Parts: sequence; C-alpha cells; structure tokens
Amino acid sequence: MRAGRVWTAKGTEAVAPQPHIGHIVSGAGHLGLIGWMLFGGAFAPAPEPFDVTEVAVISGTEFAAMVASAGAPAVTADVAPPVAPVETAVTPPVPPVVETRPQPRSDPTPAEPPPAEASPAPPQPTAELTEEAPVIASPVQDVVVLAPERSTRPVPRPVDRVAPVPVAQPDPETRTAETPEQAVTPEPAPATPPTFEPPREAAQPEEATTEIATEAKDPPSAAPVQSVRPKSRPAAVRAAETPRETPAETPAVAAAAQPAARDPVADALAEALAGAAAPAEAAGTGRAASGPPLTAGEKDALRVAVQACWNVGALSTDALRVTVTVAVQLDEGGRPLSGSIRMLGFEGGSDAAARQAFDTARRAISRCGASGFDLPRDKYDQWRDIEMVFNPEKMRIK
Amino acid sequence: MRVFLLSFGLALGLGVTLPAVTLAQSAGPLRIEITEGVIEPLPVAVPDFVAETPAAAALAAEISRLVVADLTGTGLFREVPREAFISRVDSFSAPVQFPDWKAINAQALVTGAVSASGGQITVKFRLHDVFAGQELGSGLQFNGTEAGWRRIAHKVADVVYSRITGEGGYFDSRVVHVAETGGKADRKKRLAIMDYDGANVQYLTDSASIVLAPRFSPSGDRILYTSYESGFPRIYVLDVASVGRRELAIPQGEMAFSPRFGPDGRTVVFSLTQGGNTDLWAMDITGAGARRLTNAPSIETAPSFSPDGGRIVFESDRSGTQQLYVMPASGGEPQRISFGQGRYGTPVWSPRGDLIAFTKQNNGRFHIGVMRLDGSEERLLTASFLDESPTWAPNGRVIMFTRETQGAGGESSLYSVDISGRNLKRVATAGASSDPAWSPLQP
Repeated sequence: MRAGRVWTAKGTEAVAPQPHIGHIVSGAGHLGLIGWMLFGGAFAPAPEPFDVTEVAVISGTEFAAMVASAGAPAVTADVAPPVAPVETAVTPPVPPVVETRPQPRSDPTPAEPPPAEASPAPPQPTAELTEEAPVIASPVQDVVVLAPERSTRPVPRPVDRVAPVPVAQPDPETRTAETPEQAVTPEPAPATPPTFEPPREAAQPEEATTEIATEAKDPPSAAPVQSVRPKSRPAAVRAAETPRETPAETPAVAAAAQPAARDPVADALAEALAGAAAPAEAAGTGRAASGPPLTAGEKDALRVAVQACWNVGALSTDALRVTVTVAVQLDEGGRPLSGSIRMLGFEGGSDAAARQAFDTARRAISRCGASGFDLPRDKYDQWRDIEMVFNPEKMRIK
Repeated sequence: MRVFLLSFGLALGLGVTLPAVTLAQSAGPLRIEITEGVIEPLPVAVPDFVAETPAAAALAAEISRLVVADLTGTGLFREVPREAFISRVDSFSAPVQFPDWKAINAQALVTGAVSASGGQITVKFRLHDVFAGQELGSGLQFNGTEAGWRRIAHKVADVVYSRITGEGGYFDSRVVHVAETGGKADRKKRLAIMDYDGANVQYLTDSASIVLAPRFSPSGDRILYTSYESGFPRIYVLDVASVGRRELAIPQGEMAFSPRFGPDGRTVVFSLTQGGNTDLWAMDITGAGARRLTNAPSIETAPSFSPDGGRIVFESDRSGTQQLYVMPASGGEPQRISFGQGRYGTPVWSPRGDLIAFTKQNNGRFHIGVMRLDGSEERLLTASFLDESPTWAPNGRVIMFTRETQGAGGESSLYSVDISGRNLKRVATAGASSDPAWSPLQP
C-alpha cells in the first residue's frame, strides 16, 4: 500500500511502470508458488503405493521361507487345482504355485504306467508337451464348444417379440436352462466330459424358441395399431388398483402404528373403512357369518386375471360388438366348476356373434381359472357365484 | 369434544350403512365387468392327420401342415410346437385326452384322418375346444382327388377358422393378378391365376399385349380385364375354365377401362373416354343396355359396387383433387365421402358391405386404408413408396394389394394385411406381380 502511494505521487509518466513492476512481482511470486507445488511435493499422492511395493519386495526369499515354515500344505492343497492350469509357466511372484507344481510333476513321471491317476490330474497339460498331446486336445475342444453355443442362444431370444404377450417366454428359457445349469455347476470338478455334453443338449430346447420365432415372421413391419391396445390395458387396470388399495391399507397401518397421535376423525374413518375394505384382517372381529364382502382390490385382481386370458384377437368384427354376460360357479379353490359357465344374456349383435363372444369369454374363464383364481377362501360365499360382463367396446378395431 | 362427537357419529353412521351394503351385495352373485382383454394369436395344436391307408401317409402329413400354414398365416393363430405334444393321436375315433392338451396351453385342437385309394382321397377332421373339453361343431369329411389335396386342406382350414372366429374363411380362394417380367422400360405383363397362398399358378394370357386390372365375377368363373391388344385399352371377359376370351361390346370411345362386375354377375360398370372426357358407364355383359352413369367434365373411374348392388363408389377429380364418391347404381348425384388430406383412389367396397378400401397418396407416400361408408373412421393400414390396387378377401377381413419398390430396378409384388393393420406380409408369387383381384370362396 505504501509503494502505491509513492508511485502515484510521481505523476502521469511515472504511472506506466507501476503496473509493469507490479506484474513482475506478482508473476514471480506465482511462478515461485507453482514451482514449489510442482517440485515441492504438494501434488504427491498419499502413501498408498507403498503398500504395493512392499508386496513385491516380500515375494522373494521371505515368502519361500514363510511357506516352508508355516502350515502351507493345507492351503496349497485347496488352492492348487484352480491355479495350476493357468499360471504354470509365467509368474514367479506367486510362490504357492511353485509348491503345487512339483507335486503334479512328480505324479506324472511315476504315474505313466498307471494311466488312471495321470488323466484326472489337472497339471498334465502343463507338464510335458510330448505326452500331453491327447490331454491338450480335450481342453481346446471344450473351450471351443462352450463359446459358440452360449453366444448363439442370445441371438434367437429377440424372437421374444411374439411371445411376450403371454409372458411365457421366460418359462421355456428356464426349462432349457435347468439342464445346462446342472452341467455348469459340475464345472469346478475336474472331470471334463460331463461338463461339455449338457451344453449340447441345451441346443435342442432352443428349437422351442425357434418355433416361437416363426411367429415373429408375422409382423414384418409397419403396423402401428398393433402395440397400442395391449399397452393401454395394464396401465388402466393398475391405475384402478392402486388408488383403491392405498386408501384401504394406509389408514389401517397408520392406525396400528400411531393410535394416540391420530386425529380422532381419521381414526374413526379408518376403523370403519377397515371393516369394509380390509376385512381379511378384521375377519376375526366378529362380522356377519356370511363373510365379509370382497375388497375392491380383490375384485380388481379377479378382473385382471380374467382379462389376461380374454383373447379377442381371433374374434370377428361382429362378435366384437357383442357384450355378453356370463355366469360361472367356482369351487373353493377358485376353479370354475365344469359345466357351470353359461351365457346369461348378450346385447349388440346376432346370435351367432354372441355365441362367438361367449366362447371366447368361456375360454378366458376356463384358462385362467384352471389353476384357481386368487380369491380369499374365507369369503367363498361372496365369490362362489360370479357374473362376468365381457364388454369389448375398447377392444374393437378402430 | 365436538371432534369426538363428529367421529362418533361418522363411525356410527358407517357402521350402520356398511352392513346394509354388505347385505345388498351378498344378496346377488358377485358381478364384475371385463372391458379390456388381450390380442394375441390363439394357440392351436394340429397333430398330423392319421393315415388310415398306407397310401395316405404322405398326404396326411402334408394336409395337416397346410392347415397349420393357413391358420397361422392369418396372424390370428399360433401353432403349438409339436415337440410339446404330450399325447399322440393315433386314431381318429379315440377320445381326446384334454388334460394333455390343456397342459401345453393348446386352446384349440384339430384332429383328422386321411384315406386314399384309386386317386381319390377322403379327409375328415374334428375341431376341439380344449378348455371346454368338448368338440367345437361336429366333425366334417371332404372327398376329392389326390391332385386336389390342397383345396381340401384349405377347406378344412376354412371351417376351423370360421368356427373359432365366427367369420367366413378365405383359404379356398384364388387370386388373379398381372404377372410381370422384365424391367420397367420393357415390362411384359400377362394374366395369371393362383391359389390365395401363391400355389398352383396358371397363366391365362400371353405377354404379347399389356393387360391391366383383372376383376373376378361374383361366382369366380369369369374375369374382366383391360387389354391393349387392339392398340387401345379395351375391356375383355375371360372364361377361367376354358381360358377363352372376347372383347365386350362397348359403345364407341377412345378408351374403355377399369371394368368391374356387379353383384348380379351380369352388370358391368366401367370407365369410357369419349371426346377426351371420362365417365362411368354400365351395361349388361352382353353389351345390351349401355348407359352413362355420370356426366361431368372431370375424370370418373375405378367404380365398385356395394354388395347389394344398390350403390357404386368411385374416384373423381371433380372437386379439383382425386376423391372418393358414392352414388346410386343407377346414377345420380354423387356424394363425396373422402375429406382427408391427399388424394384418394381405387376404392373397393368390402364384401361385407361395411368398409371401403382405398389407395391414398399423401406427402409423397402411398397408403392402403379403409373407411366407413360415409368416410368416417379412416384408417391407414400401410405406408410405402407405392401401394395401390387393394382387393378384399372373400370374408372382408384381409386386403391384398400391390407394393412397388423404388428405383429403376423397382419391382411389384403382392402383399396382404389384416384390416386391423396387423399381419402385413408378402404373398408368395413366382415373380413380380401386380393388380391382384381376390375371387370368392370356391364352391
């Protein structure tokens, strides 16, 4: 600050050198600072690398001594099988391998007369080139077989385009996978032949996916209408489910968690609603003997289950104009009783069209009810007899 | 205190009303409304038909395969893989093991048997609704020649299709079209007829002159088409069985083209150019009773009768652009039905009478579309460089049309598409093809 005053006092001519000298001073200062940071070790890393170097240093004699003295044999026996094939010739830093080698090497030399032990031992490929001609050949084949077969499978999977609708895609894959998986698990075991055969079997189940792929031929291109309807369906259904279930469950949970801190009005409402909307929990509280009614969520679940099987793709345009009401009786397992599915009535089309519409509805109920609809058994009286109205208005070709 | 009273009142009120609702609900059966389903191919299982005679073994397999091809080709059915079959069908009369077919999710099952002797074959089949555990309709039997086994297979597939969908089939039908050879600059055209799936192609004319726009008669025994045989476009009628042909006795004019049969099989409607003006005319197939249907300075062409024969849809540029019009079959004031952007042409009335298929050109692309009779609910089914000449399947569910690829090496081919816009696929033809016309179902 003092220097500044002195320079200003010298007048206009003297003003020019002021910034020049100032720049020089500040520049020198900054250079010094940067130099100190660069060469002074300001950017030097933390001491972590030292750990790494220490590992390298230890490896030489100390490791051999440690291995020789310590109870290494147990450890090496475990580690040996996996490590042996890989690291045979290369790395000196891994002393445990050094110990394992001598053992197998000692085996083959005397073991030449007894072939049984020589073949299972993994080290064979590494030991002698001349002898191991047959043994080397087998691992090479293994690798080759495994690689292509696994890579080909993901290729047909895109065929999923057609299959995704019934969601059955994962099933065939898992089935096919089950067989090879068993083959994969034995991989750690040294025995090679069993490991490689299963993957070949896996190629056969793929044919099942190939047939699904044949359907993929159907939609070659340019059909915008196709994907619209299926998408809208689940969205609408779930939209209906969530709002109804949440209000029913939330108050019940809240009431149980914080009964004292709650607003009394909310508590009263929650209690009343819990009796109506979530009677499954309150079933034991002494409701009517006929059983509590189905909740909205349970009804929606039933509706969604039937919708999932209501396939109108093969319906005629006339039948798509028919709303048919179907009665069905379920057993206690939620399965439709045989012969109980009947048409109560229809509107919007001819008798023939109504018949087609009813057949489709009947198939939906039979298919998805074959394993039993997911309905609460304690409310069997409520859902033993059901009337289902199949209204295809939203499914018409537009 | 007031809050407490309010809550008590609410609880009391709900406690009183909810049981009432419960009672009301329990009075009747549970009622739910299903408003949305899925659209997916129906899984159908078709085990090889049983060969009841040794000579029928090969045919039995081929017939069952063709039935599958017909059904799956619609996009409405999916074949259940044969490898998934649990039970075998070794006898046509043996009871069906429905649980085995349920287990593999086959919703429909077709069983059949074939016997052959002396060049004649008998094919019988049954259709089963697996999940209902019962037969869908009764068993049927077809007799025919070995050479005609494809037709029999198509007929089996037609019945299966019809019983499941509720719509008529279209497999036992034929398609007449223009078979093309050579490049765009030197293209030879001749009429050809084939099964709907491209099999059994027969050529009806030679390639000495250009032929255009063949159209079947309602009974499928005759074909109207336009030929440049005389140097100018004239209309001919060809008998399919004898392949004999003759030129229609049409009033004088520079050009006569775009003919189509009326539903009575006798009336022919066509375009006739006189003095540079093109109008619609109608007459008897014999040439009698020729009468002008339109009289406007614009071009009227591509007429198509409604199934009841009462009306005609056609294209005209009387409004300045090419649009679709409907008028009484006897003539009269046309009513415009197309109002969208672009140009509309080649309208064809659906055999069911509920839709009109058309070609639309807009923004440099061609579309095949359908609309209601009043022009509402227009739906474009395809889009490409050049799509044109739609023709309806006999059941009014599928449309076949010409698609031409771009460029000097561009080639025409036939495609079909469901009226929903799904299942667009190319029709197998021996070579380049255009101008398809679908026959009615064969007797």
